[in-house]
Amino acid sequence: MRFQRLPQACLLLLTCFMAWAVGSSDSTASTGERAADFFGRHDSGSGHTNNWAVLVCASRYWFNYRHMANALGMYRTVKRLGIPDSNIILMLADDVACNARNKFAGSVYAEAGRHLDLYGENIEVDYRGYEVTVENFIRLLTGRVDPSMPRSKRLLTDDRSNIFVYMTGHGGNEFLKFQDQEEISAFDIADAFEQMWQKKRYNEILFMIDTCQANTMYSQSYSPNILATGSSQIDENSYSYENDNDIGVSVIDSYTHYVLKFMEGINKTSQTSMQDLFDSYDPVKIYSHPGIRSDLFRRPLDKTLITDFFGGVAQAEVFPLQDIVGSSNHHDNGPSAPTTRKPDTPSVPVVLSTTVISLPRLTGETHDWDNWWKEVRKWTSIFVVGCLVSWISFVR
Amino acid sequence: MSILVNEGLWLLDNNIDPYVGGAFRHSPLLLSLFSTIVPPLPIIWALSDAVGAWALLRIWRARQGLSSLKGTGSDVENLIVSVYVPSAYFEYAPNAPHSYLLNPYLLLPSLALSTSTFENTLTLLALMFASEGKVSPALLAIAFAVHLTPSSILLLLPILMVLLSSPVSHLASPRPFHGNLKRIPFLFGEFTLYWLVLVGAACIIAGGSWNWVRASWGASLMLPDLTPNPGLWWYFFTEMFDHFRPFFLMVFSVHLVIYILPICIKFQHDPLYAAFLLVGVLGTFKAYLTLADPGLFLSMISLFPEVHGYLRHPIITTLLHLHAALLLPLQHVLWVSEGRGNANFYYAASLVMGMAGGAGLVDACWAGMRIAVGDAKVGAEEKVEGKGKVMWEVVQQ
Repeated sequence: MRFQRLPQACLLLLTCFMAWAVGSSDSTASTGERAADFFGRHDSGSGHTNNWAVLVCASRYWFNYRHMANALGMYRTVKRLGIPDSNIILMLADDVACNARNKFAGSVYAEAGRHLDLYGENIEVDYRGYEVTVENFIRLLTGRVDPSMPRSKRLLTDDRSNIFVYMTGHGGNEFLKFQDQEEISAFDIADAFEQMWQKKRYNEILFMIDTCQANTMYSQSYSPNILATGSSQIDENSYSYENDNDIGVSVIDSYTHYVLKFMEGINKTSQTSMQDLFDSYDPVKIYSHPGIRSDLFRRPLDKTLITDFFGGVAQAEVFPLQDIVGSSNHHDNGPSAPTTRKPDTPSVPVVLSTTVISLPRLTGETHDWDNWWKEVRKWTSIFVVGCLVSWISFVR
Repeated sequence: MSILVNEGLWLLDNNIDPYVGGAFRHSPLLLSLFSTIVPPLPIIWALSDAVGAWALLRIWRARQGLSSLKGTGSDVENLIVSVYVPSAYFEYAPNAPHSYLLNPYLLLPSLALSTSTFENTLTLLALMFASEGKVSPALLAIAFAVHLTPSSILLLLPILMVLLSSPVSHLASPRPFHGNLKRIPFLFGEFTLYWLVLVGAACIIAGGSWNWVRASWGASLMLPDLTPNPGLWWYFFTEMFDHFRPFFLMVFSVHLVIYILPICIKFQHDPLYAAFLLVGVLGTFKAYLTLADPGLFLSMISLFPEVHGYLRHPIITTLLHLHAALLLPLQHVLWVSEGRGNANFYYAASLVMGMAGGAGLVDACWAGMRIAVGDAKVGAEEKVEGKGKVMWEVVQQ
């Protein structure tokens, strides 16, 4: 009867199950470790994955035209270098473009010849008019906003965000005047930054301020990873750059003008460093002494790219997974780079729109052992099926 | 299902589990076959079609009661002879191989390198072995087919019944099933054994994970992928609220299964015809329908020339199929490539395809039962009293 072959059949089944059990002992590295490898810091780069900009013009009224133009000039620059509107918070009194005194209604210019309209048709002002207050600014930075605040007016940063904070207006020794009504002090800003650090709301901050006695505004900061620069020292005024005779007021401040002029030579793939920007400061031309504070900043300034703060560019390094040996060395908080392979040149920042060069392999180590085991598995399954077919065709 | 084998092979080569992303829905055995013994070349599909045609021929011969020992020539010789000698045609070479190889519904998936060709070949091999009375090869073939497409389980009961009785045509003379029903559990046990071995082999290549079960068989039950196909399921489930999804998935799956018992009971005198009807059910109502499934049904009609005369509306079925065959690619191009149409156009064409399949199925059911009733023979009695009386007499043929 048929059951004579039943023991053989059971034996065959048993071997199949044993082979399956052996095959299932093939372990793979945990996905969390592999993801940490991929995203972890592999060189002395900044480690940021997204860029934000907070541009504040703290003045209103027609005669502060130049402060509006400062902020709008910075807005245009960061947008041009890749930060999207969703990542820019622009705070303006916004009473200049449609001011009754504006001969060129709906336009804001930053140079005397009026060649470039900074107001244009598609700027996105997040806080306008009387919303530009100290309270709103600090709430924005710390994230303690009312639940009704729309997402476009929130600073939705995380611990991998680089933030460029630019402030301009009338200021003095450790204070900045907000819209002729109130002041924000350097201590407030320092505490706000510290709250952001505690809440992991930034990776690095570039704080740039263009007011009178601007360098005092960042003197009180104490949180790590803050790079600060200001337009003038204590007891020094910051001056405007030029007037436009048809508009009738000063159109741009001198410090901001020279910074924007420097930025015009930068594009998204530029490798220019912050040190180059700071080296371009010329106190004679600016009529004041710009300052730099980098003691809280852990990276060398000549390795810090302009686009780390001004542009929406992330550095992507794609390399084959074989070069990562041991997935356990890469959980780090410091800048050490324990990879077995270091790029010889600074990694070229890849603009986010280009395609990935090589497809990363996100599974475990591609050792020869694994390949061999896979081959064994394949041939075993074929062998099993072949055995079954031949047994049936010849024996039964 | 369409050719995603290359994707699966590439993922396997790069040590990425092919079943995680939902790109690959075939059995792991296909992966192992194509990565070890032979790469997915078109010649494999041609060979598979040739084997299917040969199997169809053998089923025909078994059904006609012609043993393969009869005659001096081999099948191929007889095939060639039949071309030149018309009288030999219906003995050695019926329409079967031609209808299989030249059927556009089967040719196109084969050209497209679709795995449904293999499913058809395995189904036909199972029927062939069953018709010739070879138990284990038949059960192995149907186990393979079920492993590739779980819906082929519909054909298990008819195949068991063919194994227990005979494939010879008894459509015209129905009688109760005369096979030994007590053997069915043993045969089913043997089928389960072969199926388990195949599952074990699949697990070996999959490295011990069970992802592939959910990806390949679960796809027929859960319908995760709503890519448009000539079938009837996908549109229904695109517009389905999630709340009702499990219920309707159950309904559609049960809809396939409920045909098994009634058809097998009704056609217990001719289980091969029952298998043919269930192939028709699959060819219309399967989850991920391809063109090859109704194609198999249409090709298998050539096995049953005795019912051809009793089909009520073959011309309508033909025209519906022609209609669907022309509309389906047209609406697909209009919708997907050109963007001038939308999903409803293609759905309408697939409805026509469903109607064509349904019409063919219903007609085949009718003909299979009508042939048992027999023909009426008109006879005229001799003149009595000056009037001719017309007499109707039912004659069993």
